Amino acid sequence: MYGKKGSELVKELASSEPGQLSAFNNDLFSQVIEECTGHLLHLGPLIRKIEELKKVEERRKINKQELEESDKMALKANNSGALIHHLSLLRNKRCLMAYVYNRAEIIQSLGWTLERVLPEEIEEKLSSSEKEYFKNHGATLQSYMSELDIDLAVDMVPPKDPYIKVRVLDDIGNVVLSDQSANLARHAILFLRRTDAEQYISQGLMEELTS
Amino acid sequence: MAGQSDAQASTFSAAELEFLAEDELIEIVPNLRMDPLNLICGDFGPFRPQIATQVPIWLAVALKKRGKCAIRPPDWMSVEKLTQVLEAERDAEKFQPLPFHYVEISRLLFDHARDDIPDIYMVRSLIEDIKDVRFHKIGTGLEIISKERTYALRLKNLSAMEANIVRPFVTRALETFYKLSSPDMIQDSDSVQNRQHQTVNRGPRRQLKDR
Amino acid sequence: MESGAGERSSQYSEMDDYESLISTTDAELLKRAWQNEKAAPQILRFEAALVQRSREQIQLMEETVEEYTRNGSDPLTVSLYQMDLDRTLFLLRSYLRTRLQKIEKYMFHIQKTTELWNRLSRPEQKFMGRCIEDMEQHLDQSVLSKLPSSYKSHLKQSSSSEEDDMVPEPQLDTYVICRSNRFLGAFQLDDSGEETVNIEADDLYALPYKSIKPLVETGQIDLV
Repeated sequence: MYGKKGSELVKELASSEPGQLSAFNNDLFSQVIEECTGHLLHLGPLIRKIEELKKVEERRKINKQELEESDKMALKANNSGALIHHLSLLRNKRCLMAYVYNRAEIIQSLGWTLERVLPEEIEEKLSSSEKEYFKNHGATLQSYMSELDIDLAVDMVPPKDPYIKVRVLDDIGNVVLSDQSANLARHAILFLRRTDAEQYISQGLMEELTS
Repeated sequence: MAGQSDAQASTFSAAELEFLAEDELIEIVPNLRMDPLNLICGDFGPFRPQIATQVPIWLAVALKKRGKCAIRPPDWMSVEKLTQVLEAERDAEKFQPLPFHYVEISRLLFDHARDDIPDIYMVRSLIEDIKDVRFHKIGTGLEIISKERTYALRLKNLSAMEANIVRPFVTRALETFYKLSSPDMIQDSDSVQNRQHQTVNRGPRRQLKDR
Repeated sequence: MESGAGERSSQYSEMDDYESLISTTDAELLKRAWQNEKAAPQILRFEAALVQRSREQIQLMEETVEEYTRNGSDPLTVSLYQMDLDRTLFLLRSYLRTRLQKIEKYMFHIQKTTELWNRLSRPEQKFMGRCIEDMEQHLDQSVLSKLPSSYKSHLKQSSSSEEDDMVPEPQLDTYVICRSNRFLGAFQLDDSGEETVNIEADDLYALPYKSIKPLVETGQIDLV
């Protein structure tokens, strides 16, 4: 049936998790493209026949003659045939475009959250044109940000207090932090920048206190 | 994609609602001396021990976390007031007036200013109950102010969080009514409103309902 | 950042509006612009002057924080200024980001709609131009170049389509939740003029975006 493979392609898209990419279905995709080429092969001769019959019709009109019954039938049949191929082609085109465009939208959203390199598990799901699109679109975004001198890939969620309350678990001694120098003595409780405290917390030298 | 409702995409995240609520003003009693702060969001202070002053909640919480102030819970957060609201909420069809961000504000204070809220357990459970009662009357408490040609709803006294919760339901339901009742807006059924790259439907428009 | 947009149409010049306008901080205005932009289905006019002023205030605050840090001011005060700065930066970034995401989504529609195109800042217009190039190239490589000649357009289904029938458009009849900070009185819901609703100050309403579009665009009503 015409258009069946195209609709499978779209169904595959609709059944995947929102915002998630599945592997680009090269096989199915090229089968739909082939179907389109097939439609064109049918369309060409049909349209030529229609044009020939129309010319006949024109000539007969001048002589005030009707088209012969068999030619009328042929014109109708060719018209319907051409219409079916035309509509199937449109449908397939829409399916192909839906598939590529919706995936492209997900690829756009990846550009916001990922650094400009794709993780391997995502990259292997993309077609070569999609990989190129990711690269180009990322560069487009970068060029906007550098023109404005503002990084839009950070601060995706509202900020919280950048300082956290910590208890020092071991004598660390005097250290210079990003905004202050502090004596980190055992049992001391103090406010540090989250970014400064994280290394000590991960080493087990501090713990975060929540109220 | 034409036909895709943006209602869900445009909802504010819980973190964003909290961010908005953090700008609401609240009274604090500082225990430190500090010069006025000339912030981008406004001028606050000066801060003098035992002299109450108004600041945004984020600022109050930051000072509180560092042990520099007591927060005065707003009037509506007392057991007495909340009991009244709860009773009225149960009796009336309409929503009782509460601050637009009552859910977020109370949560912020529960998290950060526990010792400043008298009868905190009672207050907390009253607010939970109020939230509950209000949620269950969302169907009846909203007032349809127009349905002749265009559906319009008044969401009197609805809070930010509640508006956010009802947004997808209300907007989808109203959109459906709107489409069914508006003679020039009949479109294809909603079932095709998915993430496909669709064409705008410019097909014949039918009138479902005589006006 | 300059904007290609025209002047904000000033339908309101009453005294109380003026007063509320001058007593409103830019932080507050930026927050409103951000909320409106997030909730509106269509891209709104770029708030050029507001963004400009916000950036100046951010820069000033960055310098202040730096200076305070350098001369060893009270760390508490410094961290409070820093938090204020972080909050404003978030709003600004999220505002700009929301707009770019709308542009990504509706580039072909904005491209052919002069009114919308004029709402973008120059850098946004440049951004959109490149977005379109990237997308066209990708669609062409993946699909269109492989189709018969009269089916190669990304805007039309085929050359027999009379108008662009493959361009994703924002849905303007989508419902939004809105609030006005003042009494707007009887407001006409549609062109027929047959139906009006009373819009009271500070109440929430769920209305089709289409019907309040002019109120949003002139800043008389805010989306929440």
